[in-house]
Amino acid sequence: MENVKSQITKVMSAVFEVPIEDITETSSVDSIDSWDSLKHLNLILALEEEFNIVIPDEEVGNLMNYKLIELIINECRK
Amino acid sequence: MENLKYSDILAQNQILRNTVKGIPYRISVLSNVTINSLKEILEYSLRVNQINPSIELGNYDNIIQDSSKYYDSDLVIVFFDMLNVVDSVSTFFENINDELYNNVKNKIYSEIDIIYENLKACPSVIINTFSSNYFIPNYTQKTKVETLVIELNNYLNEKKNINVSVINIDNIFIKIGIKQAIDFRLYNSSKAPYTLTFLKNYVAAINPIIYKNTGKLKKAIIFDCDNTLWKGIIGEDGIDKIDMSLNSHSGRYYNKVQQIAVFLSKRGVIVGICSKNNESDVTDVLLNHPDIILKDEYITIKKINWEDKASNLLSIASELNIGLDSIIFVDDSSFEINLIKEQIPEIVTIQVPSVIYEYPDFLLQRIFNYFNLRLNSEDAKKTIRYKQQAERESDKKNHKSIDGYLSSLNISLTISVNDLSQIPRIAQLTQKTNQFNITTRRYTENQILNFINNSQDNVFSVSVADKFGDNGITAVCILKTDLQNNKTCNIDTFLMSCRIIGRNIEFVLMDYIIYWLSSHNYTTVTAEFIPTKKNQQVQDFYSLNGFELIKEESDYKAYSLELSKFQPKNILYISVNFQELK
Repeated sequence: MENVKSQITKVMSAVFEVPIEDITETSSVDSIDSWDSLKHLNLILALEEEFNIVIPDEEVGNLMNYKLIELIINECRK
Repeated sequence: MENLKYSDILAQNQILRNTVKGIPYRISVLSNVTINSLKEILEYSLRVNQINPSIELGNYDNIIQDSSKYYDSDLVIVFFDMLNVVDSVSTFFENINDELYNNVKNKIYSEIDIIYENLKACPSVIINTFSSNYFIPNYTQKTKVETLVIELNNYLNEKKNINVSVINIDNIFIKIGIKQAIDFRLYNSSKAPYTLTFLKNYVAAINPIIYKNTGKLKKAIIFDCDNTLWKGIIGEDGIDKIDMSLNSHSGRYYNKVQQIAVFLSKRGVIVGICSKNNESDVTDVLLNHPDIILKDEYITIKKINWEDKASNLLSIASELNIGLDSIIFVDDSSFEINLIKEQIPEIVTIQVPSVIYEYPDFLLQRIFNYFNLRLNSEDAKKTIRYKQQAERESDKKNHKSIDGYLSSLNISLTISVNDLSQIPRIAQLTQKTNQFNITTRRYTENQILNFINNSQDNVFSVSVADKFGDNGITAVCILKTDLQNNKTCNIDTFLMSCRIIGRNIEFVLMDYIIYWLSSHNYTTVTAEFIPTKKNQQVQDFYSLNGFELIKEESDYKAYSLELSKFQPKNILYISVNFQELK
């Protein structure tokens, strides 16, 4: 589980171009300035590649904070 | 590149952003789909090669308008994707009538015309073929969308200007599979059809064009011998046991690798050998082995000894007078590959795959990524020329004074002005020449054509011959008349290929340029030196020719000369022929 967290943190840091230590479990679309609709698309692509999953169409728009990302990734990996 | 994870590319790209500087290479991407994720992947691939990119994405589905906006970029990439074309016409294209079909076709024809027209002055344009591979095929007849795609692609190729490269994206789709290339889920929600796998492969596919435009193309490929050019080890198995036979199970793969090396040699790539072996053993194989394809005549340079390969590759670079970053090294040993990676990171290494049937295609794929292999008559002669260079070097030792040696060469220059037939070679020289290049301005064929057509500008190309052979077009000078003062001319470009350096040809050419300017009623010539990592040898060139330094900055020196004050060098042992065509 810790591993999933660190991978999510790494991906979010790379996609949004913020230092790793700035990504926390409370990070969200409101706390990260560079999180716009185009970066969101890059985030989905990067997460899917990182975890080798396909995020369902209806969830793509929901991944707006760290907690939800973690939840859905664990859901997809089941 | 194709095997790197996207999140790693993003992270690496951020680090490289702070270290790779220099004049930005400006790229604009025009598209009728969302292509946002391409940006960082493309940036990364350029920064890894020490090119500083500045990439601008056009507006969504705005190709036509954007093509008039980005005409002055160094490179424009156009994604005109069939998915969105079809979508804008009908949810089911096969059901449209002939009239609508023709309207769609003619509309896109005219859009292609506008794109080509708006971008005709741009140094380089990449446009993708249209594809029908997203749509369900019928295996016995062509569907409507397939027919349209064929007609559009024919038009695209027929009408293209010389600055346009058409990328066949079906080849990428075939390589990775359409399901791996297109994400219909994100296309439907965000009009973003391309997967990361597609984008990484696409960037690898266009890289050779960018390397060519920016002077980063590779020039040489150096092979190890045992288990790289043939199966087996001479020292252990013996010369009669090594295998490169067309008729043996694994020999065939090495036979193909040798065929690839010969193919490269014939196209002007320097092919060399760097091997830990007894030199006489390898020479024996190259000259006498019944199955050898890569014969001695195709090999320009050989380092066969027991010294470490890093030192050998360094001396190969210095003897051939080429940069380390223009070399590719192929070896089967992970020890040697890692040594080179660590000691000379500029050199690209290729390790022979452990699964041997993959070897020839693996090699060829990498080669297509690094060499731009258009067959061009100048390139084909190059192998012979590098050999002549070696003969000249050894002849040099027989003459005591360098002037005596040079006059014994019977050097003659043929200087042509504005010769349209030499445009490809002139552009190639501006793209490839690094050392004797005073301003290092890279030009495409289209830009050279514009200089020649413009009455204010003049393009000089110089072909050099001596008693050992003809070097072909090896020097270029581009002159631009000052728009404010038509008595003043600026030397925009003055370059010479490294294979004619050291023969005082530059002074003869400068004498000639000044003579030409005087006879065309100019009174003053201006020039500048722009330093790069590789052109230190020409930093004093204008001072040596009596130019006056008028301005000096860290990245720039400006010079000026009154033509009446010029003192020609009058080097009598080099003869000059001249032809003017404008």
